[in-house]
Amino acid sequence: MSGGEHIRGDELQLLAVGALPEPEAAAMQAHVCDCSECGTNLAEARGIAALLSFAVKQDRAAGTVKAELMARMRANRKSEERNAWPRKVVHEPDAMPRGRKPRTSWWTWGLSAAALVLALVSFGLSWQNRRIAAELQTERKSAERLIHDREQIEKYVGVLAAPDTITVKLAGTEELSKASGVVRFNAKAGVVLYAADLPKLAPDKSYQVWLVPANGEPMSVGLLGPGGRAWGNMWAGEVAPNMNAKGFVMTVEAVGGVAQPTGPQVLVGEE
Amino acid sequence: MTPQSPAGQTTTDWSLLERIGRKDEEALSALYDRYGGLVFSAAKRILRDTGAAEEILQDLFFHVWRTPEKFDRARGSLAGWLLVAARNRAISKLRRRDGASEELDENGVAFRVNVERHAAQNRIADKVREVMANLPDNQREAVECAYFGGITYSEIANKTGEPLVAVKTGIGSAMAALKKVVR
Repeated sequence: MSGGEHIRGDELQLLAVGALPEPEAAAMQAHVCDCSECGTNLAEARGIAALLSFAVKQDRAAGTVKAELMARMRANRKSEERNAWPRKVVHEPDAMPRGRKPRTSWWTWGLSAAALVLALVSFGLSWQNRRIAAELQTERKSAERLIHDREQIEKYVGVLAAPDTITVKLAGTEELSKASGVVRFNAKAGVVLYAADLPKLAPDKSYQVWLVPANGEPMSVGLLGPGGRAWGNMWAGEVAPNMNAKGFVMTVEAVGGVAQPTGPQVLVGEE
Repeated sequence: MTPQSPAGQTTTDWSLLERIGRKDEEALSALYDRYGGLVFSAAKRILRDTGAAEEILQDLFFHVWRTPEKFDRARGSLAGWLLVAARNRAISKLRRRDGASEELDENGVAFRVNVERHAAQNRIADKVREVMANLPDNQREAVECAYFGGITYSEIANKTGEPLVAVKTGIGSAMAALKKVVR
């Protein structure tokens, strides 16, 4: 055989009987795939070669082989039915003699009942799982709140207990004359502010606290209200180390704060 | 026992295959009863190992169960396919290779005899045995070595001391003699 020529009959016979070495067999197979005439002739030759199986002394496999095969088939069918989605409804009108009702074996009912029980148990467990997850989430949030509160308290204590902490009293400006506050400032530990009678802000506003240094621009030490850290009316902020404070100012700014005070002042105090 | 239709006719292989496509276990059971012995005997002849032959037998019929649509009626005979597939799988096992790579295009097996009944199988078996018995020893040995031993014509030549051409011609003659069985 070469190029577009057909494979000779004797070569096809050798191929059919399995007598060709692999490279030759592969080359012929490739040709046969594209040549219907050689394909037909090879099929004929294979049919002749297959007759050799009849010459063998006939024997039977153990009965367990068939039993295992049938069990394997059933398992496969069940697996396919389980995995089929959407489920295919198969009508088998000719698979059974007429007038004979389809047989439903007891284990089919048993399996159906077991499946129902499993589904109910699964639903129950799923519901319980969701409830526990929600409880866990609530507990986690509660724990985070407690940790945050503890950190704040530690900060207050750190500032309030330090011997070199100074106190600055804040007074309300003209529009908020009733408002007042006290700042406890420690250049190393931070700032603690207690404010009273501050009006409630719009949701898009925050109180922003500023440290006014002896020289230079005011420096933000934190936000109070929406977007800021607050604990009751007390509040703790941080300052750059060793800052000298001339005074403190509280202004009303946009939520999230600004770099330099732009809004109206509500509390003002100097050392 | 050969399954029969209500009219007393034997259910054809293709009819069984069609039912297997609808996951009819009885149809596969019938096909197994029809050809299981032939398949098992051929595999056992090649492997000389009952357990390995049973494995091939079960795998082959499970393959039919899972993919009945792979068998194209236009391309040949189911009985022929089963016998060739059993032979190829057994040879692969003999060479300690993965059987899956040895599938070839087994669909293309034109089997010119109807062996759907066990009586027909016995008749064909008698004829084939007679043909084989009447072959010269070198021809019989060559074709059996190739088909059941999975060895090439050059290996057969080395084994028997026959010239290559004689081995090839011997296989050709044996095949020609077998062809008479189906005429």
